[in-house]
Amino acid sequence: MKKNLFTFIILLLISVRVMAQDIHGRVIEQQTKEILPGASIMIKETRQGTSTNEQGKFRIQAAAGQTLIISFIGYKTQEITVPNGNQEVLVALSEDFNSLQEVVVTGALGIKRAAREFGGGAQVINNENLNQGKTINPLTGLTSKVSGLRINMYDSKVDPQLQVVMRGSRSLNRSKNAPIYVVDGIPVPDISRLNPNDIESVTVLKGANAAALYGSEGVNGALMITTKGGSKDRGAIRFSNTTTFSDVFLLPPAQTQFGQGVNGVYNPTQYESWGPAFDGTMKDFGGKLPDGTIPQALYSAPGRDNRLDLFNTGVNVQNDLSFSGGDDNTTYFFSLQDVSIKGIVPGDESRRTGGRFNGSRKFGKLKTSYNVNYVYFNKNTTPDGPWITAYQLPANFDYNAMKNWQDPASVANPNNFFTDLQKNPYHQIDNIRDRTTEQVLNGKFDLEYAFTPWLNVLYRAGIYSSATETRSTTGKFEAAGRRNVNGSVSDGNNNFRRLNSDLILNFNKKIGNFSTRLLLGQNLRADNRKATAVSAGNLTLPGLFNPGSRIGELGGSSTLTQYRSVAGYGEFTGGYKNYAFLTVSGRNEWVSVLSKANRSYFYPGVSASFVFNEAIPALRDNSAVSFGKLFASWNKTGNVTLDPYSLNNPYSQIDGFPFGNIVGFTPGSRYPNPDIQPEFVTSFETGVQIALFNHRLNFEGSYIFSDSKGQIFNATTSRATGYSSAVVNAGRLTNDIIELGISGDIIRHRDLKWNAGFNFTYINNQVKELYEGLTSFNIFRQSYANIGQAYPSLQVSDYKRDPQGRVIINQATGEPLIATDPVHLGTMVPPYQMGLNTSVKFKGFNLGAQFDWRMGGWLYSEIVPRMYTAGTDPRTAEFGRQPFIFPNSVIQKADGTFEENTSVLSKGDKAFWTKQGEVQINTAAKSDYFKLRELNLSYSLPSAWLSGQKVFKEASIGFIATNLFIIRHKDNKYGDPEYLYNTTDGYISFRQVPPFRTYGFNINVGL
Amino acid sequence: MKKIMNVLLAAVVAAGLSACNDFLDVNDNPNSPVSENLRLSAKLPAALVSSVNQESGQLNQIGALWGGYWGTTSEGINLFPDLKNYNGPAIRHQRDGIPVWENAYTTLLYYQLIRQQAEQEGSKFYLGIAKVMQGLHFMRLVDVYNNLPFDDALQGTVHPTPKYEDGKTVYVKSIQLISDGIADIKSAAPGTEPGTDDVMFRGNKTLWIKFANTVKLRGLIRQSQTDNQAFINTEIQKIKSEGTGFLGTGESALVQPGYLNTAGKLNPFWENYYRNVQGVSTGNHVDIRPTVFLVDQYKARKDPRLNTLYVEVAGDFKGVLFGNPNAEAGYNRSVTSAFKGPQENGNRPSALFKSSTQASVLLGSFESLFLQAEAIQRGWLEGSAKSAYEAGIQESFKYMEVNAAEFAAYNAQSAVAFNNTIDRIIEQKWLALNSISSIEAWNDYRRLGIPAIPNSLDAPSPTARPLRFMYPESERQTNNTEATKQGSDDMITDKVWWDN
Repeated sequence: MKKNLFTFIILLLISVRVMAQDIHGRVIEQQTKEILPGASIMIKETRQGTSTNEQGKFRIQAAAGQTLIISFIGYKTQEITVPNGNQEVLVALSEDFNSLQEVVVTGALGIKRAAREFGGGAQVINNENLNQGKTINPLTGLTSKVSGLRINMYDSKVDPQLQVVMRGSRSLNRSKNAPIYVVDGIPVPDISRLNPNDIESVTVLKGANAAALYGSEGVNGALMITTKGGSKDRGAIRFSNTTTFSDVFLLPPAQTQFGQGVNGVYNPTQYESWGPAFDGTMKDFGGKLPDGTIPQALYSAPGRDNRLDLFNTGVNVQNDLSFSGGDDNTTYFFSLQDVSIKGIVPGDESRRTGGRFNGSRKFGKLKTSYNVNYVYFNKNTTPDGPWITAYQLPANFDYNAMKNWQDPASVANPNNFFTDLQKNPYHQIDNIRDRTTEQVLNGKFDLEYAFTPWLNVLYRAGIYSSATETRSTTGKFEAAGRRNVNGSVSDGNNNFRRLNSDLILNFNKKIGNFSTRLLLGQNLRADNRKATAVSAGNLTLPGLFNPGSRIGELGGSSTLTQYRSVAGYGEFTGGYKNYAFLTVSGRNEWVSVLSKANRSYFYPGVSASFVFNEAIPALRDNSAVSFGKLFASWNKTGNVTLDPYSLNNPYSQIDGFPFGNIVGFTPGSRYPNPDIQPEFVTSFETGVQIALFNHRLNFEGSYIFSDSKGQIFNATTSRATGYSSAVVNAGRLTNDIIELGISGDIIRHRDLKWNAGFNFTYINNQVKELYEGLTSFNIFRQSYANIGQAYPSLQVSDYKRDPQGRVIINQATGEPLIATDPVHLGTMVPPYQMGLNTSVKFKGFNLGAQFDWRMGGWLYSEIVPRMYTAGTDPRTAEFGRQPFIFPNSVIQKADGTFEENTSVLSKGDKAFWTKQGEVQINTAAKSDYFKLRELNLSYSLPSAWLSGQKVFKEASIGFIATNLFIIRHKDNKYGDPEYLYNTTDGYISFRQVPPFRTYGFNINVGL
Repeated sequence: MKKIMNVLLAAVVAAGLSACNDFLDVNDNPNSPVSENLRLSAKLPAALVSSVNQESGQLNQIGALWGGYWGTTSEGINLFPDLKNYNGPAIRHQRDGIPVWENAYTTLLYYQLIRQQAEQEGSKFYLGIAKVMQGLHFMRLVDVYNNLPFDDALQGTVHPTPKYEDGKTVYVKSIQLISDGIADIKSAAPGTEPGTDDVMFRGNKTLWIKFANTVKLRGLIRQSQTDNQAFINTEIQKIKSEGTGFLGTGESALVQPGYLNTAGKLNPFWENYYRNVQGVSTGNHVDIRPTVFLVDQYKARKDPRLNTLYVEVAGDFKGVLFGNPNAEAGYNRSVTSAFKGPQENGNRPSALFKSSTQASVLLGSFESLFLQAEAIQRGWLEGSAKSAYEAGIQESFKYMEVNAAEFAAYNAQSAVAFNNTIDRIIEQKWLALNSISSIEAWNDYRRLGIPAIPNSLDAPSPTARPLRFMYPESERQTNNTEATKQGSDDMITDKVWWDN
């Protein structure tokens, strides 16, 4: 054998040197027999290459017996041996449909497994799909592309924050429903700083079963991110630039009939819009300026919404550069990215600059690899003030005249601003700043040693470290009374580091028709955080922001937090004839946040899959069925959502304490529970995957049931208990979920490809039990957990109504009566979530679109009540500010019956409308919507155009846009229903600036 | 292979277990003390400050607007809208409302935890203080909300939905709680008194008992218009036989934790209604004004307090109309009288503003004296109503920086001299409590209709007056079954139990 091999190599060498010949050939498409220009041909041994011309022909010098690698994007790569003799080589490439059969799923711990043996829901989003909208935060790129995954944005400033929920809420603790993020096998707390272009693919493991090996956090599923590595082929250098522009939209509407004043009378120093109707005259605006004149303003609302003047067009610029390459033993990937954002709020900006270096090297049986990612991020923003001011100002307020506030003679100067009950928004913008600098260092290494063909050992350690520096400043502006602004500064540091270590033994053995795999592992996790702050609330100088230059005492705090966990886990997979698989897993976890008695817990899981088209002889030869799989799983996962140090009530000093030597400690408002135990989620999942007609039509459907019991959450309690909330082990939530996905190639032609996909999720979430036999629990303001209803449910105050639903009017005051009990409207999470995507490829053109459709939920706006008070909401002008008959109202007669109200007038003044703003049903609406989330139109320059030069190997240009259009429920005039306040469901706050849409272009070149 | 696997599995598990204990013992809070680390002396000051902050802050403001003392300038027309137009739902609002309920129960919890610790440690003095203060807050809550949880309250999840008890019962139980507190304080062994941590009476037993008796008396006086005379008589008898008496001349209940002229540590009343830490007029100082009615009452008596309370504008004191819906120029800032403070008084202390570190008033000696005067006048207590009444005025003069020599002439006026009527006592009590314990003015108005305070011009109807707060939204959200059992809680139709 050895001798033969030696001879063969000698022969090969001789043949290379001696027998090199001119090989020519053609590359065609297997099915259509059409020619494929631009296909690449490479000699495996020498790495020399060429490509096919317009006629699909190629010519290359190669020796007989050498191997040619023929590849073309979108087709399966083929290898052929160079034949003897001077004959034409004909290569027919078959299309490579990203078929289910070949999908490799990155399973728990980053171990790749064939999708066929997978017993749970998984979906892979590749780089191209993720980056369709050229998002800055990778999570944004996943929105509406994965069934069961709901992503909401809750801020549209220069560092948007997101809420991620997989397969509905399993926890009544509303901040604990996010999946675990795993980057190259290491669980990390956050992935929003990751460069989406570095991501090779995101595997979404939806069920708790798939992620059970990650421990508790995996109970909500996992987003497994695989970053790019170099490939063995020739080196590649890629550059891309994306420039997009953002414009605000969906502002809550404002009335344009009435201007500033009180009780119908104009007042030059009042900001609320309770004055007379606009009349087009010039009126005094504010008090006297330093020069003795009184500024004038046109008392007329302009044709356009003046509030838009407060916002800029945001500019987002991304530049990406990457280098990749490798050989048989080494891979190399290096990327750099710079993202700068100029925000929609003037002065807001952020910048993210980062680099990644991924590499690997084989040393015989030892494989080593490492990833290092460093990101430097900074942002400079103003808090909520300017927008909170703007929606309360009258319609004729001229924003453009307010920028010059530094000029003591200007109307914009805080001393001269027309009212002292609001601040000039531009003064707020310039004067109140929050600056953040964040450095994230994230890295890992793998050492994998193959002891025997059936056993390898992997040790993997990773760190995630973030260092955040913050500075919040308010410039001192000395003035009389309310116009005075105290100077303040607060400097903060927040350092976090996580160490994660896994030791995994992986046994693999095939015995006849049976394949077995056993995985045993041990995990260790340590999180450390230290947050410190120093502050001064009364600075002496306007421009010097240092706590040292203060009057009074220094403020400050320091918080240390440690979390640790240890786990041992195992997973066994048995396969039969590569079509039937059974997996059993178990994990025991020890966590630091529970008492000694409760901190150890075990949880098991089992799953099975069956590839029926290969198992059933009748289907095996049926060409219509390309792939078919049934799967099912059951598991019970333990979870501890408790933060460190939650077993006791911490005391702190408030109300000015300490006063010199006098200390005063007060307890926290959360009732602690030292006996908290882990909560458990039991889930069952079954589903089917079918691919038909050579993978032209793909279908996937699953049903999931999950049951969470004994949840750890902060129950809001009656304040009469002495506490505002209590930590409890209570409550039970169930989810019945249906997920469907269908995708297909409508046209599969060489020049024209049209693909469309649709995903559907229905979640029936129900609260089954609550604490201590209660039937209702308040969660956050108007959101509730009610037994028998979905969580969270919107419950609001309403009018007192007659049996026909008409509003009952108090005959004496004309005011509608308010019902004592709140009314339940419905779930705040849309139970129906759908995503629609389509892509059309025609020659070099590529059109991609992603639609997002959600139905069945409710939302509540807290902006609009304040607009009622300020007289800016259109409803307050509906009846001309005159006494009117409240629509659809009744009066109650002495005998208790109701009759239509035709005579009792409601006042229609400020006091009246302010009270209507307090009736919460007036500002609740259905949150249904349908939107075009992403649109991407690109054009790749034909390779023929580039063949004449040596600099660029590939180039494309594109147009991209997000949120181009949205259709909302007719009652929703408040905002974008997916754009929600800080980890709430269906709650729109005045702290959020309005949402934006973006559009722009992008260019890519490859060297 | 199976053997190897078993060994490996065992090794992995064993490694995990042995590593566990040390590695995982990191759950002791390094940032904040827990109850066990703290002595009672570290807790009491915070509780007392929390009490006085609510009494002289939140409650005083409500009372000042509803008790006829304050209005706003025309520029400040949009301030306090909910209190001006009696917007019950807005006041009960969880976010933008006035959380009297929430704040009071939080303070009550501070005392509850002090009680528990004092009970364990046998610290009778602290135990007594906590009980007395709880009695005060519970009765105050009844004054605002009527029925509410008492027995079930303050026990965390032991009673997650505490049962309500009717206001009258809560009054009975609160007065009993105070009596228990007095007994505890009396039984405290010498040497176990609190020291400087008692930021009210520095551990003075007598003053604490006098204060406790005064709070009880206030609770009994409140019931004067109910048919509860038997109970009143019994309780008066208890106070008499206890024998320590009430707060008298020079014995105000003042809280002084050691305020400092630095951000967050100023006297809150000063910082809210006069000057901020930078020495700049606060928004409230800019826009709060006495009502025309109040100014007229002082003027009608040639009251020397007027001059220490307010600044003159064009040689006169000028007030505003409470709840005026129109921004009339005659009530602009520049033409109406603001609060007077040291800066407008030649750096001398004024009636309400003496210094940024002045003590906060929980219960003034003048209030105690007027309570005694009324009780004597009603025949509940022995003594001279006239001398209690006159001492009350003198104590008020003293607090409001009026020269004691002015009393004689003042008291000689027929509009002032004691005429053996409850009305006269309440009139002077009202003038004395101005902006100090204003909530008592609203209480007395609901109880007796004295003085004839004009209604808010922004009231839903001319006769609609605020009678109570609606139960807070937080209670509707968390304990609605119990709250609903109490029936209608409308602000302008539903009275608290003692209001007849």
